[in-house]
Amino acid sequence: MTDPAADALVGDFLDVLQDELAAVPAERRRELTAEIAGHIAQARAELPDGGDADEVALLLDRIGDPADIARDARDEDEHEAPPQQRRGGWIEGLALVLLPLGGLVIPVIGWFAGVVLLWASNAWTTREKLVGTFVIPGGYSFLLAGTLLVTAGPGGSCSQELSPVGEPIGSEVCTDTGGGVGPVVEVLLLVLLVVLLVAPIASALFLGLRLRRRNRIPTLVGA
Amino acid sequence: MTDDEARLTQLRRGTLPYCVLALLRDQPRYAFDLVRSLAEIDGLMTSEGTIYPLLNRLRRDRLVRSTLQESPTGPPRRYYELTADGTEALTGFAAEWRAFCAAVDTLIAEVPR
Repeated sequence: MTDPAADALVGDFLDVLQDELAAVPAERRRELTAEIAGHIAQARAELPDGGDADEVALLLDRIGDPADIARDARDEDEHEAPPQQRRGGWIEGLALVLLPLGGLVIPVIGWFAGVVLLWASNAWTTREKLVGTFVIPGGYSFLLAGTLLVTAGPGGSCSQELSPVGEPIGSEVCTDTGGGVGPVVEVLLLVLLVVLLVAPIASALFLGLRLRRRNRIPTLVGA
Repeated sequence: MTDDEARLTQLRRGTLPYCVLALLRDQPRYAFDLVRSLAEIDGLMTSEGTIYPLLNRLRRDRLVRSTLQESPTGPPRRYYELTADGTEALTGFAAEWRAFCAAVDTLIAEVPR
């Protein structure tokens, strides 16, 4: 034999709460509304006949503004972001190894596996991931090729005399013209080689340091 | 809300999760029950309904776990208890809080009551 006016107040309150919770996933919305409804019911059970309109109004006032409750409910999801989760697990460690070195074992693909792990991890920001990916693509995949390019030096050339019908005459003649491409290009190639050597390790170090720094900052259950 | 009020509210909201953990130290409790205890402390809990999102956060952070219990008088009720992580978080907070309080107390010692 509850007071219908009181019941109406509760009904309105729960309706407003549902509206405010529109941005929250359906399941959570249902669950939270049920919890609040249960809370109201328990509070009313302590009042004679479930309380009159005034008593229930007071009760609802203590429960608070549906907008505030909804805001806290929305904040629940915000903290799914990296700050709350474990970092420095196997994904991160493996990524840090594969990014520079994966390419040495299986060119490009080994490195790419590192990239996949990098982006799967929640331990780095997007910007850090971009640095890890583009410095340098392939990691050390191209180190071998790069070294050959520089040390072999395109300074030699081979020529083969051909007859009018395209048949080789005599043997191939190769000449090593020494610094055939000139010192400038050689220097540039050297610079390229240094970059290829340093960048993958630097990139992995950068990611590793960011990881360490983030792990040191304690995370609290925030307001 | 003035800036001062806002700051104090933030302070309260910051400690509220740990107050809940402290209340769960001795035994598992229902949300309704927790709200009652918190309401006894002036100004700590302004909106009772917000205990539910708070408990959900604590659950997701694995500081508490919840169990549904059949109730003879109505729908099943959820009760909450501390996890090992929760106990650890509480202990850590207590140490931080005591140090913080001691420091602030020293600073405001001369401020008239």
